[in-house]
Amino acid sequence: MQSDAERRERRREIKDAAARQDAAGAVAGARRLLAESGKPADVQFCATALAGIGDALREQLGARRLKTYVVRSVTVEPMLASLAVEAVLANFVLDIEVGGYGSYADELLNADSSLAKFKPELVLILLDMEEIAGRLPELCADGTGAEVEREIEECVGRMAQLLRSYRAGSTARILLQGLVVPDCTSLGDVGEANLPHSLTNAVQGLNLGLAALCGSIADCVFFDVDRLAARHGRARWRDARMFLASRLAVAAEWFGAFARGLVRSFSTMLRAPRKVLCTDLDETLWGGVLGEDGPEGIATGSAFPGNCYLEYQKYLKQLSSRGILLAIVSKNNEADVREAFKVRAADLALGLDSFVALKINWNEKAESIRELARELSLGLDSFVFVDDNAVECEAVRRQLPEVAVVEAPAREPWRLVEVLSGQPFFDAAMVTGDDLHRVDEYRAQAQRAELASRVGSRDEFLASLGIVCTFQSALLAPLSRAVQLLAKTNQFNLTTRRRSAADVEKYAATEGGQAVVVRVRDRFGDAGVVALALARRQGDDCVIDSLLLSCRVIGRGIESALLAYVGEEAARTGAKRLVGEFIATKKNAPCAEFYSDHGFSRFVPPGEGSSDSVFYELDLTSSAITSPKWIRVEGNESNER
Amino acid sequence: MSVEQVPTSLRELLADIFEISAERVTPELSMGTLDSWDSFRHLQAILAIEGEYGVQFDPQRIPELTSVALLQAELVKMGAVL
Repeated sequence: MQSDAERRERRREIKDAAARQDAAGAVAGARRLLAESGKPADVQFCATALAGIGDALREQLGARRLKTYVVRSVTVEPMLASLAVEAVLANFVLDIEVGGYGSYADELLNADSSLAKFKPELVLILLDMEEIAGRLPELCADGTGAEVEREIEECVGRMAQLLRSYRAGSTARILLQGLVVPDCTSLGDVGEANLPHSLTNAVQGLNLGLAALCGSIADCVFFDVDRLAARHGRARWRDARMFLASRLAVAAEWFGAFARGLVRSFSTMLRAPRKVLCTDLDETLWGGVLGEDGPEGIATGSAFPGNCYLEYQKYLKQLSSRGILLAIVSKNNEADVREAFKVRAADLALGLDSFVALKINWNEKAESIRELARELSLGLDSFVFVDDNAVECEAVRRQLPEVAVVEAPAREPWRLVEVLSGQPFFDAAMVTGDDLHRVDEYRAQAQRAELASRVGSRDEFLASLGIVCTFQSALLAPLSRAVQLLAKTNQFNLTTRRRSAADVEKYAATEGGQAVVVRVRDRFGDAGVVALALARRQGDDCVIDSLLLSCRVIGRGIESALLAYVGEEAARTGAKRLVGEFIATKKNAPCAEFYSDHGFSRFVPPGEGSSDSVFYELDLTSSAITSPKWIRVEGNESNER
Repeated sequence: MSVEQVPTSLRELLADIFEISAERVTPELSMGTLDSWDSFRHLQAILAIEGEYGVQFDPQRIPELTSVALLQAELVKMGAVL
């Protein structure tokens, strides 16, 4: 805990930064103050200061403004300051409206409700046991309750009705909070643990049901508040005095943890997780310094302290198995490292082949990470860098501010996993088939690069890959992958509209509309779903709303095959003109000439003179787009993987 | 009465919660005289005071502590070090 003078100093920093509209300074100050003190008055102080610089946060840090509606049955007002501040720390500016205590059903069901009128982009549903499953405590009282399972089913069913009804009329992201397992029950700890229908088991079963429900609804995430409560101690999570007197569901000391948990959960619906973890070796992946201690001297393996590093290696391996790419960024001699991985293989959870790339040299680490980004065709904002050396960490932070830097606690290696898992950047509410195949895909990419260096011309090289494109409805792809592509594709994305699952469904369902994805494979592997287009009919026109391509397949003509497909489909349904649109962003220069390269000409639609969009047209009655000759096209197969 | 009669720590805390300058936090300041002091801010102020001084109010007293002077008196009664 810091002294009062330090606390004042921090607050002055924040106030001054806010006064000169310095968003980064204010956020950094708030982060420090809350890490050091975080008393309720400090939180409110930060909330007030940050609320005054909403525009600066958006303009300088690219913070996203989110109209947020809280559907609730409990008192949330005292924790809104925490929620607003934690959101800003995650680069969101919330514009919050809170619903009535008893009106949650009406708000979700009624098309004229205050919720519907607010037109939020995010809805947080925070209901308590009494609303979701008021009968459960009574039904579970004897621990054998025959009706318990039916009651759980009915509870989930009721919630399904509310969520589906709201989903049908809104594209807002939805967060549904689960229930906290009650700490004090009449069965006592032994009964709760041993009786099949104890309230503990029932609430956990209900939470499972609600989580599955959320998984079945587009743009909906389950917030497991019980996990948070268990982490901090269920006995103190709720202050019975304040719950019974004021319906406050969380004790004041946990407002920050609760708000952080909420923000982490809803963030997964609004931004993609990072994709690459670059780890240092000495004092990070293993203990000691290889160059000094030699391969036998470094600490790794089953005995302490080597097992601390083994735990970290296992954690990385688990990340890798759900598609996070691992890379080594280390200042070492590569030959020494190769030897260490060979000699100590039995004591390491990872082999060199667990990493998609190695940057073992004496170059600056920022330069190595930049090279990796180029080789893997990934943006720097997809990278995480873990290193024990504070100087290296600071150098990367300064030179590559997009990279997330984690300082490994070298003196407390047992905390490595805790420090890493406390960070939100690999959070994902779902794992798609493409995630699972990503590591293989990037290995295949390396093989392709090797082939390219042997084969002469570009066309010859592309022909030798044996590329096959399969076109599918985005609804079959599965839909989650289409939404993931829309959320995270930046470089080859003509309009960068972050369409939701509900939007995609609308394009697919409308007469003359198209929501098509491309699955790509070649002789080296299956890249999965890597491209998407959304188009709609407007009179005689077919208008392409979105067209995008994952950066890992740029340069193989897949975008041309997709455009050709969309053009053919448009012509087949009677469209006479194909209209394309380009909206320039900081990142999408690679596709600026896409439409003109395919024979489109620029035009200005009536009334569109001042917008950021550049429009292109192609007369479908006289021309068509040709798909590259090296690509074999398979249409509308829905029975793949 | 003047601001000096409110201890600095309490004055600054209430200024944060009610989003006003510390100079405005006089003993007379109350729910009736300050617009931003509504029932939710009241609860927030109570929670902030409990966190700051390590005390717990009796829930039945909470709705009655509607001015700075009353809050301060209650804190003194509970033995809080202001």
